[in-house]
Amino acid sequence: MDAVEKANAATQKKWAKDAKIGEGMYAVVYKGREVAAGRPVAIKKIKVGQFKDGLDMSAIREVKYLRELKHPNIIELLDVFSSKTNLNLVLEFLDTDLELVIRDRSLVFLPADIKAWIAMTFRGLEFCHRNWILHRDLKPNNLLISADGQLKLADFGLARDFADPGYKMTCQVITRWYRPPELFFGCRYYSTAVDIWSVGCIFAELMLRTPYLPGESDLDQLKTTFRALGTPTEEEWPGHTKLPDYISVGQFPRTPLRDLFTAATADCLNLLSKCFTYDPKKRISAKDALNHPYFFALPYPSHPSKLPKPAKKSSPLEEMDGNVDLSGPGPTVKANPPNKLKRKLSSGEGDTRSIARKLDFTQKSPE
Amino acid sequence: MSNRNGWLRGTTIRKGGTSFNSNHTRHTTPQIQSTSSTIFGGGVKDPSGRTSEYFSMDDQCPVCKSDRYLNPKLRLLVSACYHKMCESCIDRLFTLGPAPCPVCAKTLRKLAFTPQTFEDLGVEKEVAVRRRLAKNFNKRREDFPDLRSYNDYLEDVEDIAFHLINDIDVPETEARIAKYKIENANLIELNVQREEQYAQYLKEQEEIDRLDREQRAAELRRLEEEEREEREKGRRELIDKLETSDKDALKLVARSKAQALKRASTRSASSSASNVFQSNAKLLRSRAAQSTVIPDVPHVPLQDDWYAYEDKFALRDNYDDPVSEAVRRDREGIMRAGGYRVEEAWQRALTFAVAGLDLRPLGSAVPSKSTEPADVVMAEA
Repeated sequence: MDAVEKANAATQKKWAKDAKIGEGMYAVVYKGREVAAGRPVAIKKIKVGQFKDGLDMSAIREVKYLRELKHPNIIELLDVFSSKTNLNLVLEFLDTDLELVIRDRSLVFLPADIKAWIAMTFRGLEFCHRNWILHRDLKPNNLLISADGQLKLADFGLARDFADPGYKMTCQVITRWYRPPELFFGCRYYSTAVDIWSVGCIFAELMLRTPYLPGESDLDQLKTTFRALGTPTEEEWPGHTKLPDYISVGQFPRTPLRDLFTAATADCLNLLSKCFTYDPKKRISAKDALNHPYFFALPYPSHPSKLPKPAKKSSPLEEMDGNVDLSGPGPTVKANPPNKLKRKLSSGEGDTRSIARKLDFTQKSPE
Repeated sequence: MSNRNGWLRGTTIRKGGTSFNSNHTRHTTPQIQSTSSTIFGGGVKDPSGRTSEYFSMDDQCPVCKSDRYLNPKLRLLVSACYHKMCESCIDRLFTLGPAPCPVCAKTLRKLAFTPQTFEDLGVEKEVAVRRRLAKNFNKRREDFPDLRSYNDYLEDVEDIAFHLINDIDVPETEARIAKYKIENANLIELNVQREEQYAQYLKEQEEIDRLDREQRAAELRRLEEEEREEREKGRRELIDKLETSDKDALKLVARSKAQALKRASTRSASSSASNVFQSNAKLLRSRAAQSTVIPDVPHVPLQDDWYAYEDKFALRDNYDDPVSEAVRRDREGIMRAGGYRVEEAWQRALTFAVAGLDLRPLGSAVPSKSTEPADVVMAEA
């Protein structure tokens, strides 16, 4: 026991904590640095105290998967140590995230920029999938961008490894606007295709500069999706009407993507439509997407160092997400209860517990 | 003053912020709005009796941190203690009755939230305080014997307003107001009536003005119409003349052409909205110039040989696998409609089995741990 404590103390000494830069429901993020090299890091302190059954589920997931994944397009977990009753994750420090980039109206995106971001997203995702890990919470807010422009997947609080046959998975994952229809139909056996749908939504959001499918409730999300992409037929998606929570939300005709994405090239729309294929089995895989002609066609993807970035004045954003607030009675395998994962809460029905759902980066109190 | 009808209508218009959604009128939650504006008189009405509501793209609810990007319908209301929060927070906190303000802990109720008119809540408060005072402190110069006492009275009112705005000696000030109200009840009532009469007079005056304007406009239109008809007639005559005699044909045509040109030039001068495009083009050009410094490289789909070992095994169509029996027997496709493939589970197991074959077994001569590929760690787990 003593040896363990000693090792922990040694690790703790390697990292210094500076100013607080963000706070979420289950973690506080500090800016820190490596004592020896002075390299900036982000230290995510998991609040343990409030979970009486032990550690928060998403913290366990995060450590479990980030420990294994090392890739230029995935956030790096540098170290883990405990202090008093808290668990501290030492993560790579990243400047900004894709949501801030999309929202900064002063930035102009070139088609090559979008290509570069999507290629990096697919590259990181392909690495997760080849290691049999589903991310399950892809959204612009979770795609962080480093100082040299590299995009990195972050927030593995909802990730899980690929299910063995017979194990059910929860369908209450992924932020609503980025959630594929099979999860709304209560599908308990799904696969890597769920992440691809999210990437499709991000892809569309990059082109539109506004969320592509902003549903206001779970039911409205299905309607929004079908209104945009047409109601799936039995030929398009065999067996979907038999899914546990299947519900019919009306027939909408399919409108060509070209109508909305007027400036996109044919290759671009082809890839986008393959990400939005209703049948998850026919949806493109991350590996196939990386081999799609879109990425080879001119213009070449922008070099990461040239990608647009929001002005420096915005406070640095950290690997962190306040939305993954597990406020249920302790960690459960069922992940989050419904309503917990929305990126926004429009009408306010239901939610009574979480107040700060989003990190407030304006208040920068020194430690 | 006399805009009571406007109050009850409770219509709102948007102002401020960017042009986005600026012509968007609100239909949701009329309940809060109408009640709050009737009871509390929140928001400030413009001359047409509508409440214009402050609205900005940067709005963010200080309580739940939700902002306009995440929730385009975000609407911030102001509490009686002048703290902003969004409608969903209000619903969440105050539906079950009065509750403490999350910012200052003052007990608030749901109905006492008002729409925000000014960007600065200090102004919002001052306007509310002054509106309240103006209802009672409505004495005029004629009510005082000399200018001096009138000025003293105005000074007093300012004093009270200052105290209320800055929360100084509130109970004392309230007592002062109450006292004044009792002492001057008759005069206040009289002045209210006088003001109403004056407002009525103004309204009538306005109505007369409006009718007058309308009449003039109609007159002008009639004149224009006449002129146009005359011109038309002239032209027809001209054509008739051209038809009957070809004397000045060339001269006439040239004159009409010159006129057409003049009209066209006046039209084109009005449109000059091409500036925006120019600046965008400039921006893109600067980006293009930058791109020559660091060249973009062609896309390389996979930067490693991860899939090289895939030829180390061949996946069969079927395995004797009792665990996946349920999935394979699922004729309806319920387990597969979500994209689940049993084959992937088999593939995963086989990959784990073969991926470590090339590696030297872990022994005393372990190389440094960091050079191990991640998959080995996975396979052990």
